[in-house]
Amino acid sequence: MSGFEVISSGIFTLLQDKGRFGLTHLGVTNSGVMDEYAALMAQKLLHNESNTNILEIAFSNVVLKATQDTTLCVTGAKCEFFINDQSRQSWQTYDINQGDTVKIGKITQGQRVYLAVKDGFDIPKEFGSNATTVKEKIGGISGQQIKSNDFLPYKKQNQKFSNLYHQRLQPIHVPKYDEEVLTLRVLLSYQEESFSALEKEKFFNSVYTVTSDFNRMACKLSGEEIKSDLDGIISEGISFGSIQIPKDGQPIVLLKERQTIGGYPKIGSVINIDCFKLAQRKIGTKICFEPIDIQTAQEKLKDFYLTFK
Amino acid sequence: MEIKLASVDSVIIYFSHDISKETSLRVKNAYKLLNENKNKAFIEIIPSYNSILVSYDIFTYDFESISIVLKKLLENVSCEENENNHVINIDVYYGLDVGLDLKRLCEVCNLSIEEIITLHSSKVYDVHAIGFLPGFAFMASVDDAIAISRLETPRKKIPKGSVAIANNQTAVYPSDSPGGWNIIGKTTFEFFDKKLESLSPISIESQIKFNPISKEEFLLQGGTI
Repeated sequence: MSGFEVISSGIFTLLQDKGRFGLTHLGVTNSGVMDEYAALMAQKLLHNESNTNILEIAFSNVVLKATQDTTLCVTGAKCEFFINDQSRQSWQTYDINQGDTVKIGKITQGQRVYLAVKDGFDIPKEFGSNATTVKEKIGGISGQQIKSNDFLPYKKQNQKFSNLYHQRLQPIHVPKYDEEVLTLRVLLSYQEESFSALEKEKFFNSVYTVTSDFNRMACKLSGEEIKSDLDGIISEGISFGSIQIPKDGQPIVLLKERQTIGGYPKIGSVINIDCFKLAQRKIGTKICFEPIDIQTAQEKLKDFYLTFK
Repeated sequence: MEIKLASVDSVIIYFSHDISKETSLRVKNAYKLLNENKNKAFIEIIPSYNSILVSYDIFTYDFESISIVLKKLLENVSCEENENNHVINIDVYYGLDVGLDLKRLCEVCNLSIEEIITLHSSKVYDVHAIGFLPGFAFMASVDDAIAISRLETPRKKIPKGSVAIANNQTAVYPSDSPGGWNIIGKTTFEFFDKKLESLSPISIESQIKFNPISKEEFLLQGGTI
């Protein structure tokens, strides 16, 4: 069989893709890669379809041994990356030969490393997607994170990729994940009318901090308390990026593995492309909110996806 | 009906501001219309008590055009009940060994176990929303006499199949999960079944009736205490 033997899986390595769609009416979450910029860029550099599956690595020490030739690309968080103990660069493609060992060491900036291979891993989809949602036991390999001794099959490359292309992203397009303050652009939406002008002003003029309550479901912030006139609302569908304000007044940004419905008032929604940036930020990062209008937001999102067409 | 911005690629349609049978029927009929439309640009359609969230392809619609399309499609949505709806019967064993809160319910509501069973199992419930967990269906309305509020401290683990009450709602835990609802019985009926193509035998359009069975029957069906 051709593929990667997982020598060491790291604590939380997941098989992902763009996500699982069309089942939210049953409470099945979308899941999918947290940082679409990094994931889609890896696929683009490999000339892969944008929805090809990919590994999302949240902790260091992932070691893979190739039993066959392939081409890979590592993107996302800055990390130590070795092929046969030789230090390599992220955001570019490398041909891998049978017997090579690939290692992701320490993550030094950002939160999630992406590792893609040419044409993806040959793992059957579950309900239309490879995206792993551990709490639902759906996707990936038997609904779980990747474990040591797992096998990640891929198809043998008949022609060396590097004979055709050598793909490296221009450094100017490599994101930095360490700026002091990350600004998230917000569309006022949902129950925004239940927040007074004063509360909105507080929301847009305060500096929040990313707390340790940050996972694939959501990111809880701490800072200035925001109050809604509503105590709770009738449970309703929750969009990617929506900002819940629970009773303690501390905003929660809902991300890829969010619950499909919920009953907290929402002041608005962070635009998708800024959620991808948030996905790479560490606990303690300072966050500001800035309003954006729907026309501009949609143009920006379209531009984003057109880059990867 | 009101269509509001939800996020960069989604809108939420509100059919009223309260929970009622009429609103629920309007949501169900609108949900049906949206699905029958088979519009590929509708990416997710999430119905709930009084609303439907629609996420859409922004390369097909912008906020303005999706609002127009949805308004046109749904402006005459009725609140008529679908007469073809068949009722799904679900066998439940109501017993103190599985109904972790049954005894407390008797005390709080001042009713016997038999009375609670009769009250819970004699109504046909509508599904108002599915969420929280895959296949967790919020059903209403439970008789006022047994409509008690959630536990103050949720349990760390409620066994799969537990039949529960919270206020005027009832539900079945589709998998082991933490939760704060009052447990009164247990069923072997699968609300979330990965073997099914549809993933679940129920939908927001389903009507549910609970059917009391004996412990022996429950065990024969593969139930566990």
